[in-house]
Amino acid sequence: MSAQAATRAPRLAAAAGRSVRRTRPAPQLKPLKRDDKGLPIPHVHLVVRDTHSSRLANHYYSTLQDDLMYMTYVHEPTPRPPPRPPRLAYDPNDPYTKHRYNPPLGGNRWSKQLPPPSSPDNVIQLERIQIHTQIKQATASRTNLLGPIMALRAISGANDQGGGQHTAEGVQIVKGRKNLQGWVRPGLPVGVKVDLKGPQMYDFLSVLVEFVLPRLRDFQGIPLEGPSNRLDKPNSASGVVSFGLPPTALGLFPQIEVNFDAYPSTFGMHIHFITSAKGVGAQNRARALLSGFQIPFARS
Amino acid sequence: MLSRNVVSTCRHRSRACLHAPSRSLASVADAPSSSAPSSDPSTSKAVLHAAVILNRSPIITRTPTLFEKAYYAYQSRIRRALFNPFPTEFYFKTGSLLEKKFAREEKVREREAFGGPWTLNREGPESEEIGMTSADQTESMGEEPMEPPASRVHESDRTGDVKSLDRMGERNLYLLIRGKDHTGKEVWRFPQGGLKEGEHLHQAALRDLTAECGENIDTWVVGKKPIAVHQASLSESAKKSLGGEELYTFFLKAHILAGQVRPNGKNVTDFAWLTKEEIEPRVDKAYWASVKDILSDF
Repeated sequence: MSAQAATRAPRLAAAAGRSVRRTRPAPQLKPLKRDDKGLPIPHVHLVVRDTHSSRLANHYYSTLQDDLMYMTYVHEPTPRPPPRPPRLAYDPNDPYTKHRYNPPLGGNRWSKQLPPPSSPDNVIQLERIQIHTQIKQATASRTNLLGPIMALRAISGANDQGGGQHTAEGVQIVKGRKNLQGWVRPGLPVGVKVDLKGPQMYDFLSVLVEFVLPRLRDFQGIPLEGPSNRLDKPNSASGVVSFGLPPTALGLFPQIEVNFDAYPSTFGMHIHFITSAKGVGAQNRARALLSGFQIPFARS
Repeated sequence: MLSRNVVSTCRHRSRACLHAPSRSLASVADAPSSSAPSSDPSTSKAVLHAAVILNRSPIITRTPTLFEKAYYAYQSRIRRALFNPFPTEFYFKTGSLLEKKFAREEKVREREAFGGPWTLNREGPESEEIGMTSADQTESMGEEPMEPPASRVHESDRTGDVKSLDRMGERNLYLLIRGKDHTGKEVWRFPQGGLKEGEHLHQAALRDLTAECGENIDTWVVGKKPIAVHQASLSESAKKSLGGEELYTFFLKAHILAGQVRPNGKNVTDFAWLTKEEIEPRVDKAYWASVKDILSDF
């Protein structure tokens, strides 16, 4: 004890000269930059918000939201039965397995869960749109990704941290995760993708519906499964609607059409509409939402 | 509370109202007039009507408020100031007419955003000069001149024509008709009518709409479920003429897709496409209380 006090004493004496607080001193402010008139330019972190009101977002809030609430309403006069207690893999009272991860047998069955009770708060809405394309030639040379990156930037209008928003990721390169013999290695760039949210998402949707899909040749609408399709499959219960566009559709986007020759090659793309729907039959509710935005669906 | 009462009345009255506990708001009912008086005198007889709230959705975007306009203009200026430079050499061939046209337009846009005392003033002496220098050479570029957009205020807004479907483009409009209610009095109300034997609510609603508003109308009924219910207070004579103790009117929402209402002039004399505020003074207070929450404020 005394030995410790003896060693601590000289240190304290040394610190007494400086400061008692164990914090960093306040940073020295650099003088502000001056513009050409000699006025200081304040260092402000600017974030660009919406520059216009979105037409389709207005349509959603004025018309679609109410209609979807009425269409997807399920009347539940009695409270739901409590969920069945899960059969755990280990006895929870056994001290030997007390802190071990105890999974329910048969999984958590997320795709078999009922949708949440209907209420005005959980009306389905579009959360984001993901555009994704896989470029086969990228495995040979990664410069083959430059064209698709430029094209997706033009289509989506998204760029990395665009408008000072740190959540905006812009066009991202998709890298391989698995080792597939003779094709993909982990970390090998194989494609590009972009996530759209907010007004950009609605702008892309309106361009797709008004310029691309009507001019696409031999387009019969997005195929639907038959009535025998089960509603509790992971696909049907995830609230995501996906479809693909052929390479010919790329030239129909007005942003690409103006200088189509500047792009070295055309490519198809997958478009995923990710909605807030959950539970059994969520994909059908997502389709109802999208058909409200005039995306055509057809029974195959 | 009211809806719970409706359900319990239906439950007393006939089993046909209820198929399963999950569908306890009855969408099937017996015909009120044809059903024989039930053997139990204590049960009250309810008569069901189906009404349609026919909606014309907004056809133009909402006019932004002054604050919204200022906000969007401010954000656009920030965006313009912060954005990466536009790669003109990627989009235009160097020295092409298109590039010159773009540069000229861009200059005007830049001036709109930052030039002068922060005003969006298109008519400046310099902008005129920029616009005029090569207008004859490159202005047309083989493109047809753009048509100016139509006015946001329609003719019917100026004349006060409530029957036009083009009035109040940025608001939700609802169809109100002038016809007889259950007492035989002429009132403003939504199109409605009774249910036939074994008919569903949404089928009855569509049939009654056609009967009162004519065939010249394309509609789409949203879902099969009612969105509101109204219980009319009945006098003794009205009860006798109805053949029931209680009258419930279920409202279903529908959209008009094409066409226009053509009332037959016999039981329906007039109609109007109205916003929420315009409906309130025309209808009965109790009726208004049942429907006001399902009409859109915008």
